[in-house]
Amino acid sequence: MRRRRRSWGLLLYTAFVFAFLFAPVLMVVLFSFNRTASLTFPFSGWSTRWYEEVFASPDYRSAIAASLKVAVATVAIVGVIGTLAAIAVTRYSFRAREALRSVLLVPAALPGLFLGIGLLSLFIRTHTDLSLGTVAVGHVIYTLPYFFLVASNRLLRFDPLLEETARDLGAGSFTTFRKVTLPIIAPALIAGGLVVFSLSWDEVLITFFTVGSQNTLPLLIYSRVRQAVDPSINAISTLLLAGSLVFIVGVRRFVVDLQQ
Amino acid sequence: MLLLAGPALLVIGGALLIPLLLLLLQSFVVSLGYGQLRYSFTLANYSSALSDPVYRTIAVRTFAMAAATASVCLILGYPAAFFITFRLKRARNLALFLVVASLFTSYLVRLYAWYTIFGQKGVINTALKAVGLIDSPVSFLLFSKWAVLIAFVNVFLPFTILILASSMQSIPDDLLENGRDLGASAFQSFTKVVLPLTTPGLVSAFAYIFVLTSGDYITPALLGGKQGTTLATIITDQFVAFGNQPGGAAISFLMMVVFVTVYVAVAQSQRYKGR
Repeated sequence: MRRRRRSWGLLLYTAFVFAFLFAPVLMVVLFSFNRTASLTFPFSGWSTRWYEEVFASPDYRSAIAASLKVAVATVAIVGVIGTLAAIAVTRYSFRAREALRSVLLVPAALPGLFLGIGLLSLFIRTHTDLSLGTVAVGHVIYTLPYFFLVASNRLLRFDPLLEETARDLGAGSFTTFRKVTLPIIAPALIAGGLVVFSLSWDEVLITFFTVGSQNTLPLLIYSRVRQAVDPSINAISTLLLAGSLVFIVGVRRFVVDLQQ
Repeated sequence: MLLLAGPALLVIGGALLIPLLLLLLQSFVVSLGYGQLRYSFTLANYSSALSDPVYRTIAVRTFAMAAATASVCLILGYPAAFFITFRLKRARNLALFLVVASLFTSYLVRLYAWYTIFGQKGVINTALKAVGLIDSPVSFLLFSKWAVLIAFVNVFLPFTILILASSMQSIPDDLLENGRDLGASAFQSFTKVVLPLTTPGLVSAFAYIFVLTSGDYITPALLGGKQGTTLATIITDQFVAFGNQPGGAAISFLMMVVFVTVYVAVAQSQRYKGR
């Protein structure tokens, strides 16, 4: 047992760190409900006019739709190939497993810039038109390592005896997978899928290089921020935040999986 | 069984390996500008990247900023990770969840938040003006390296805390207990047990933050202004604005050499300690 010591200094310090992490973002959320366009406290009043502006704007609406399409496609593709790879890893010998793991984790160790310019070069040389499809390719390679980490960690802690027992009782390998393995690893797969969604939802580094004429939400925000002060950015940013945070709260129970 | 990993390996091959090889190839051919290439072998892209004094200044600035970000993250994050791991009990998981939540808080929104804080009509300037401390807006914060550093630290701190907390959690309770039984003070058990056992976590967090910050072009472009030009923004310009892929690719691979060196050094140092 650890002895509990009073450490008010550390407590205060950690509170400061959390404030540093969250305060700026909370401020954006607050300003999104401000009645006027100014960035000053105290507020002159609350309003949802910036949200109305966002939802009335065809630019924003089509960007939201584009981001949703890309994120859903990415989750579907990464979910399938990532799960297969995670299952494969548990069946391999230790050496092959470590080799596969390190290969699959490479995209996470590279800055998005390199994935972006690499893919752009490939698309230029193969005369592939840039579209939301090419954006999804970038998101798949970028999110695959994270999904694989979450799924394979769960599978490696999975007791192989359970599968053996099922097989001894006469279940075929597909039945074993569907009735025994899948239900046990499903939470980890869902958690992985949620992580992939939220990563794709606000990805901008790779998207910048792989996108065609259709803006995604983060790209639209990026270009608006650079243009002028525009209070609707507060509102759309808050929506972007909400999009990824809803998913992370969904992952709450899998927080242990994420850390490993 | 190899079949199961097949699709993932195909994706890695097609969307990572081939693009990177293509980049490498491009870095050795002649650029005619605006995306046109002439396929004859040349080292000119590398020699002009290496000999350009402007690039050299920017390279120093980029890596200095990356090293500063990584150091500040570790210094700020370590005590927080320590507190969360060793001083919190019931609230520990909640605290870790908050860190994860902030990790997934849109990176772009966080940059935008700093933009609104530092801007001409931003939170700091309007507040200072309201209190009467200044008459006209001060602009030293926005479009400066300090804005970039603060935003970078804000973006990478959650990640740092998670790595450090997980390396602290893997310290067996017995070790700390034994130390205390043998009469170690809190300070001694920190310097003799906790610090050495978390060094690998510190080193890998440093390497990872260093690599990711030096490859980021959005943060400097948004908050750094003229001083914000980094290697990553140069590469982006070469690719997007000038259509000089060979030039951009050469700089990328020079950066990659630095990154690989950093990662190999980290792996080497950990192997040494581990056995």
